[in-house]
Amino acid sequence: MTALAMKSRVSAGLPYVLLLVVSAVLWYYANHIDVAARPGQLGPDFWPKLAIGLMAIVSLIELARAVVSPNHKEAHGITDQLESAEPLADADEQGDRSLPLLLGGMAMSGGYALSLGIIGFPLATFLFLAGFMYLGRFRRHTMIWTSSFIGAAVFSVLFLKVVYVSLPRGIAPFDTITDLIVGLH
Amino acid sequence: MLDTLSQLGAGFIACLSPVHMLMLFVGLLVGLLVGILPGLTLVMGVVLFLPFTYQMEVTSAIILLTAMYVSGTYGGAFTSILFRIPGEPIHVPLLWDGYAMAKKGQPAKALGWTLVAALIGGLVSAAIMVVLTKPVAQFALRFSSPEYFAIVLLGLASVISLGKGSLSSALISLSVGLLVASVGTDAIYGSYRFTFESPILADGIEFLVVMVGAYGVAEVLARLELGFTSAPLQGVSDTRTQLPSLKEISGLKGMLLRSTLLGHVVGIIPGAGATIASFVSYGVESQFGRQRGRMGSGVPEGIVAPQCAATASVGGALIPLLALGIPGSGATAAILGAFMLHGVQPGPQVMMTSPAMVYTIFASLFVGIVFMCVLGYFAIRPLVKIMDFPEAVVSSFVMVFCFIGALSIRSNVTDLWLMLGFGVVGYLFERMRFPIAPMVLGVILGPLAEEAFMNSMISFQNDWTVFFTRPISGSVLVLVALTLLLPVIGTLIPRRRAAPAE
Repeated sequence: MTALAMKSRVSAGLPYVLLLVVSAVLWYYANHIDVAARPGQLGPDFWPKLAIGLMAIVSLIELARAVVSPNHKEAHGITDQLESAEPLADADEQGDRSLPLLLGGMAMSGGYALSLGIIGFPLATFLFLAGFMYLGRFRRHTMIWTSSFIGAAVFSVLFLKVVYVSLPRGIAPFDTITDLIVGLH
Repeated sequence: MLDTLSQLGAGFIACLSPVHMLMLFVGLLVGLLVGILPGLTLVMGVVLFLPFTYQMEVTSAIILLTAMYVSGTYGGAFTSILFRIPGEPIHVPLLWDGYAMAKKGQPAKALGWTLVAALIGGLVSAAIMVVLTKPVAQFALRFSSPEYFAIVLLGLASVISLGKGSLSSALISLSVGLLVASVGTDAIYGSYRFTFESPILADGIEFLVVMVGAYGVAEVLARLELGFTSAPLQGVSDTRTQLPSLKEISGLKGMLLRSTLLGHVVGIIPGAGATIASFVSYGVESQFGRQRGRMGSGVPEGIVAPQCAATASVGGALIPLLALGIPGSGATAAILGAFMLHGVQPGPQVMMTSPAMVYTIFASLFVGIVFMCVLGYFAIRPLVKIMDFPEAVVSSFVMVFCFIGALSIRSNVTDLWLMLGFGVVGYLFERMRFPIAPMVLGVILGPLAEEAFMNSMISFQNDWTVFFTRPISGSVLVLVALTLLLPVIGTLIPRRRAAPAE
């Protein structure tokens, strides 16, 4: 077996190894569910164990297939079979993927969740909108800042004053902005 | 029948109230835009609009989301025909004849045929829906827990075999969904499962968090990674619609009826939906239709068949949702979510207890389809022009919609983190070609399946043969087995492929 073939088998089988590990960990936790069933009855751990078992069995079969024959033919869902007549442009064919952009997007989203409780919904949304547009390689500055401001203001008024969704106000002094929008000042 | 008609009449009167009409109009407009805009899908649009419905009365909320659902099956047709850009897989078959007709210098005529197909398919299917829903609900009243378990299992089996991805990846996706659904307090025994001593996890993971993350955030992240590469459009300024003559429409009446019935039936099947309806209808016409030899060269039949079936599938999909409480697709799952957020559980009981609401929703579908076509006819130019809008701007707003969607469920930032987590899971699923729909439907249908299964086992003293020995559940389980075999059979049958329009 060549090194390339070996690498192909390892990369094909790796996701299923991970899934088997996850299944084992989840099975461990499922065994620690506080079972209150009467003897002879199925307990609350039965259903999750059924799902874990399904995941583990399918992963095991796929792992075996990946190791024995990495290029095996698989049965696909009917939509896949119908779409194969005219496949939509695959992401891989559309252009180069950019990991920094992806990680940037994830980091910005995490940053939004972290900052929300501190600076409040209006300011966090304004900064996120502007930052995400820049991250997406859009460079019309006036449009970015104007649309972010209008967007954040409209969302804040709509959800804080009209729909009454309880969104984070932020801590002082940032809560002043939220209070201004909801009309407490 | 007279009773149904009189209730439908009352539904029309209720539907014409200013609030319902406003919701209908907004839903149609947003649905058309969602179908047109790159990076937005029909399901995503319906899911992202859920937070707006919290303060609404339940009927208005469902009218809004159903209008988005139906017009989402039509909006993407514009870009498929004019620019060879299908907004969603639903409109891929329109590339073959719709785009070919446009290239022959008749884009307005192609758009006209699409409009007529959506109008006729949608209206006829809505009429069938009105006739069938009540009897289906009355039949479902006979169901006990084994029958419900079998029906839910059929829904899960169909989404695996009729959907995307390989069978193994769909099964793994489903098991992830079932596991996510089992987090929280067990409904039968009250035990905590996978809560890791977190109070919010004790309440379970809301399926809307999963849907918003997996459909919304994942899609935006995937497109961001590619740098938002949508190309600007040319030639939008002279876009218009030219309706075919009555004589031309009359010449296709048999095919219109065939495609409508096909779309409706496919819509009823859980897991199938507008995409399968569209492809199957095109396939039937290219195999058995009068113009089968010319399909793919820009003939009206190749436009009418997929569009008619796609719009007709909406009426079909609403039957299991309203009569059984079982959503068969992402869009109907979001509509079920809206029902549940307002404390209404669709199913056979709702037809008996809230007929006014159900018939107002029915009436809104008729009115909505007509309005959708009027909007499509008169507002096509500004609607298509919206494609010029920068994708980075649209996507940043979509992300904020996702954040609000997660925050508004329980007003807890943990839901936001969970939603972002499911966004990453959805992105990884997409990269690894794992389908998302089985996971989402697993989260939604998992608790129903577990409850029905556990209740059956308790009621019938752990006798698992009860599922096979009762006539209805036994028959449905046979259907489950056949459904799971379908993809395997599908790979063995060679298919004829229509010539793509180039």
